[in-house]
Amino acid sequence: MAAVTHQAQAIELSGSRSIEAANDHELLAAIRDGDEFAFQEIVRRYRNPITNFVHRMLDDYDRSVELAQETFIRVYTSASRYQANYSFSTYIYRIATNLAISELRRRKRRKTVSLFSPFTNDDGEPVEIDPPDLNMLQDETLIKNERRSAVARAITSLPPKYRAAIVLRDVEGLSYDQIADALKLSEGTVKSRINRARNLLKEKLTAYI
Amino acid sequence: MKGCNYIREQIDEADKPDLLSFEVTAHTAECPDCERFAASRRALRTLVASSGRVSAPINFDAMLNARLADVKARHSFWWLGSPVYYRLGAATAGLVIMVFAAQYAGLFSYKSKPPTEPVALQNPVFVPPPDVSPGVLTSPIEPTPNKLGNDAAYATVSGARPRRSAGRVAPPVYLTAEDGGVVLLRGQNGDMDVQMPTVSVGAQPLLYVRAGQRAVSNIGTSF
Repeated sequence: MAAVTHQAQAIELSGSRSIEAANDHELLAAIRDGDEFAFQEIVRRYRNPITNFVHRMLDDYDRSVELAQETFIRVYTSASRYQANYSFSTYIYRIATNLAISELRRRKRRKTVSLFSPFTNDDGEPVEIDPPDLNMLQDETLIKNERRSAVARAITSLPPKYRAAIVLRDVEGLSYDQIADALKLSEGTVKSRINRARNLLKEKLTAYI
Repeated sequence: MKGCNYIREQIDEADKPDLLSFEVTAHTAECPDCERFAASRRALRTLVASSGRVSAPINFDAMLNARLADVKARHSFWWLGSPVYYRLGAATAGLVIMVFAAQYAGLFSYKSKPPTEPVALQNPVFVPPPDVSPGVLTSPIEPTPNKLGNDAAYATVSGARPRRSAGRVAPPVYLTAEDGGVVLLRGQNGDMDVQMPTVSVGAQPLLYVRAGQRAVSNIGTSF
């Protein structure tokens, strides 16, 4: 039944409707039929949100771009197995989340040390080197940058399970049920994790609130 | 009036931090703790959301297309880049298929004659069967000197040397050297002793000696 629906969508897409007007499910059906333009349209719609999401998870732009591309490659190669039971955004965020969490686990095994926080305090938490700014005046841009980097550091310091939930909710703006689908969790668990993540962030960002 | 825990859950779960329901607004107007909680959550969510978004680089599509082309190229020869056990399994499967194909094509079959034809005899001279009472030969393969005297009672493979033993003359030539081996069936070998090659390697012809006859039939190969 689902296959018939996808086929009908693909026919409709290749017929009268333009690619830009097609919804995500129709584009996936077209990708399944080998339509490269449909894949380009999917990339155009989601490349920035996915890159931003992975960047929030990793705080590493270059690696975020690579993982965003890997996300789209997986969408392309597994288009035949895609089932339109829930929204495509949930599906693609799930792929990106899994890739990002895998990357975090890999980094944890490697025990990478940040060049900006090579030392730890008595509690084992990283102590960042924060050299004084000798400039006479700090303009608004610098303040914004400082605030932005503080938020990024605070998010990065969260445990991955809290990090994914809070980024999907407060950065990407997904609803609770979409996050639950993306993370394969119950909605109650998602609410609990977001609440916990906010409490942790509040402690770390007290100076900016 | 709802409790503070319920109101704080509503504040936490609001889609927009500054758009709260009337119920929550009415509660926070009278509850300073919940009002502080709402203000704190609003500030935090605004700060996190406004922390700046990054965009994909300009060459994102080009890099993606290059990687995708590479994936498509590798997908055709996925098993070459797969782990060793996958490659080993694929090679074994291919070898088995080739063996079956060769067997089906008859490459391993060297027989050209139909198996029901008797084997040609080099010296088809009829020799009467020896007058030996049944049961003297308990084993046609292992002769005992007391009963048979010497191994001359065995039918020779070469057929060039007819032998006598204990008043029994073995058929001189019923098997040839090309026959290679025989299968002895107890009670159906015409009271003949047939000499077998010591070592048999590979496919051997299966010969059948009918009781009371001097013909040996080739009934196939050992495999």
